[in-house]
Amino acid sequence: MILEAKDLNYYYQDGENRRYILKNTSASFEKGKFYTILGQSGSGKTSFLALLSALDSPHSGTVLFNEQDIKQIGYEKYRRNNVGIIFQSYNLIPTLTAVENVLVPMSITENELPEDKKTVAYNLLDYIGIVKSKADRFVNKLSGGEQQRVAIARALATNVELILADEPTGNLDEEMEQEIIDIFKKLAHEHQKCVIVVTHSNEIALQSDQTFSLKKGVLTTDE
Amino acid sequence: MNFIKRGLLGITRKKGKSLILLAVIFILGNLISGAISIQQATDNVESTIKERLGTAAMLELDYEAIEAMNESEMMELEISNIDIDLIKQIGGLSYVKYYDYSMSTALGSESIESYQGEEMEEENIIWDGPSMEFTLKGINYAPVIDFEEQKGKLVDGRVFTTDEVENGSAVAIISNKLAEKNNLNVGDTLTLDNAVYDYSETGEEELIASRDVVLEIIGLFEPQSAKEDKGESSDGGMMDFMDIDYQNTVYVPNEVVSSEQRYYWEEYVKFDEDYADMLVDDDDLEYYTPIFFLNNQEDTEAFKEEVMPLLPELYLVVNASDQYESIAAPIESMSKISGYVLLVAVIATVLITGLVVLLFLRDRKRELGIYLSLGERRSRVVGQILIEVMIIGLIGISLSLFSGNFLAQGVSETMLEADHDQFEEDTIYFNEFETDLTTDDVLESYQVKLDANYIIMFYVVGLLTILVSTVIPLTYIVRLNPKKIMM
Ligand SMILES: Nc1ncnc2c1ncn2[C@@H]1O[C@H](COP(=O)(O)OP(=O)(O)OP(=O)(O)O)[C@@H](O)[C@H]1O
Ligand SMILES: [Mg+2]
Repeated sequence: MILEAKDLNYYYQDGENRRYILKNTSASFEKGKFYTILGQSGSGKTSFLALLSALDSPHSGTVLFNEQDIKQIGYEKYRRNNVGIIFQSYNLIPTLTAVENVLVPMSITENELPEDKKTVAYNLLDYIGIVKSKADRFVNKLSGGEQQRVAIARALATNVELILADEPTGNLDEEMEQEIIDIFKKLAHEHQKCVIVVTHSNEIALQSDQTFSLKKGVLTTDE
Repeated sequence: MNFIKRGLLGITRKKGKSLILLAVIFILGNLISGAISIQQATDNVESTIKERLGTAAMLELDYEAIEAMNESEMMELEISNIDIDLIKQIGGLSYVKYYDYSMSTALGSESIESYQGEEMEEENIIWDGPSMEFTLKGINYAPVIDFEEQKGKLVDGRVFTTDEVENGSAVAIISNKLAEKNNLNVGDTLTLDNAVYDYSETGEEELIASRDVVLEIIGLFEPQSAKEDKGESSDGGMMDFMDIDYQNTVYVPNEVVSSEQRYYWEEYVKFDEDYADMLVDDDDLEYYTPIFFLNNQEDTEAFKEEVMPLLPELYLVVNASDQYESIAAPIESMSKISGYVLLVAVIATVLITGLVVLLFLRDRKRELGIYLSLGERRSRVVGQILIEVMIIGLIGISLSLFSGNFLAQGVSETMLEADHDQFEEDTIYFNEFETDLTTDDVLESYQVKLDANYIIMFYVVGLLTILVSTVIPLTYIVRLNPKKIMM
């Protein structure tokens, strides 16, 4: 078990009332598997993912990474060394080229990386489907699908085993969506990563190894 | 792609914004550098002029305090003389390089003619009363303090010996011009008349008594005025008057003057007995003017503080450099203005640069959020922004280093000219210290320079200002929440 959520509670204060987004939510995730978290808009999927990726902290409960509380690891440190995050709106730095965007986390992480980071970055992009000529372009001159590939490459650049994605295909057409999902599957099954993807698409959920459903603060799973 | 490299790319990849920031810093930098340039120039004037004013200190009556007195206070007013013991005590202080005290009197002569300047040689003097055109100036400091201080220069013969000073020997040092005019040489004697007149009754003077003052000439001096070196004097009249006065000065030991004074009053008192009652004792005749020269310009305040308690009531210590304030009024006002400009410029720079940087950072909110979501330390994100701003700041400051200095030159020149025009003519500051400094000298010593002092000062002030201006925008970074930005 690489990642485990234990009794997470998360709410928004709504005047006097607490509006619970997550109620005593627990879940566990393993390496080599492709997970989806399914739920309607506003059900709290992003909130849950933010807790798993240490961009936010729960009001109670813990998130364990390799049995260790991520609060203990340190949220910043956990983000730079243990997790790769992919967002719906790519979140690339527009003044940098594709390959430079991939290089950014490589100088932030403390993980051991090969000497020649630039070559690694090019190879990663190539593997994800961005050829060298496109890798040297500024990211705002790439298509949405290409930009999301760069974001995936960036998430992989620090050599992490855990990939979290929040509606990564939300802005893409179906064909592009499938290509991205195929990449996630490959990462999980061929490279032994733990991939957790938040989506509201049943088609994607059907392709995953395990699906969690979030409804009214309660997380259920099909297994 | 570490934060330093990111900072450099941040500058080059966003040229438009970098240029805007550069322009803002450059413009504000000009104000700061101009103000610092003028400050430094005025500081320079202060030290040069004070240097030239010298380290002389005198003891003076506090005329302002006396004037402020009411009638009854005035009636009780009793001013005691400064006696020789006190002068010697003050002269013994460690600040004092050397000192002298002197008694002067005016005498006439039948046997020699006074020097009346080069041009006025043929003119008749209209004053037909008893002439007293020679100043007998007593000295106690044998090498003659006026020569040590370059007011005059010994050109022939020798100065006094301590024995001569102590014994009050009848020896004198006169000016070269005076000697030439009367065909006198070192070793010759000259005779002055100590004549006692009665002016009281008719207005017509009446000779009561007279005696010859026979002095042996032991040396000749020439005035050493700084103005003379310049050839043409800018204000002939006043300078000539001062020069003629000095040419007719006869240096003698104090005792010679004192004995002539005594003779004068003894004879006068014989004639006018009412007056005799007013003179209580001999001491009233022993009135010496002391002058002290300090080792160091910086000692003037400390010297003042130590001497003031020793002085009798109503006396003040006056330093030659005290005149700086009145001489350099235009410079002082400019120094003040530039001080305000500097303050305002620094505050404006902090606010304007801070706001511009903050606006640019808000535009880059997403980028900053990305770094944070990738686990970058906030301190390094702050570091990256600091690098970007400080590099642009350094360039902007360096550019305004020269242009601001150049601007200051032009601006202060105009200001000084305007100030200068307010003075009808070249004003000479004439007082007991006999300065020959004029406003022209002050204005001439004003120079906006591009020296190491200025450069260092400007970089320190400029870069610190920009550093402070990044404080507001950087607190913005510290408070960024990556989840809100990214998700
Ligand atoms: N700052 C906030 N204050 C109050 N309520 C909030 C805040 N942010 C989100 N919410 C609410 O919390 C709930 C969960 O939001 P979340 O973004 O996790 O939903 P989601 O499942 O990701 O939705 P979507 O599919 O539209 O992205 C929503 O009902 C939302 O309105
Ligand atoms: Mg969402």
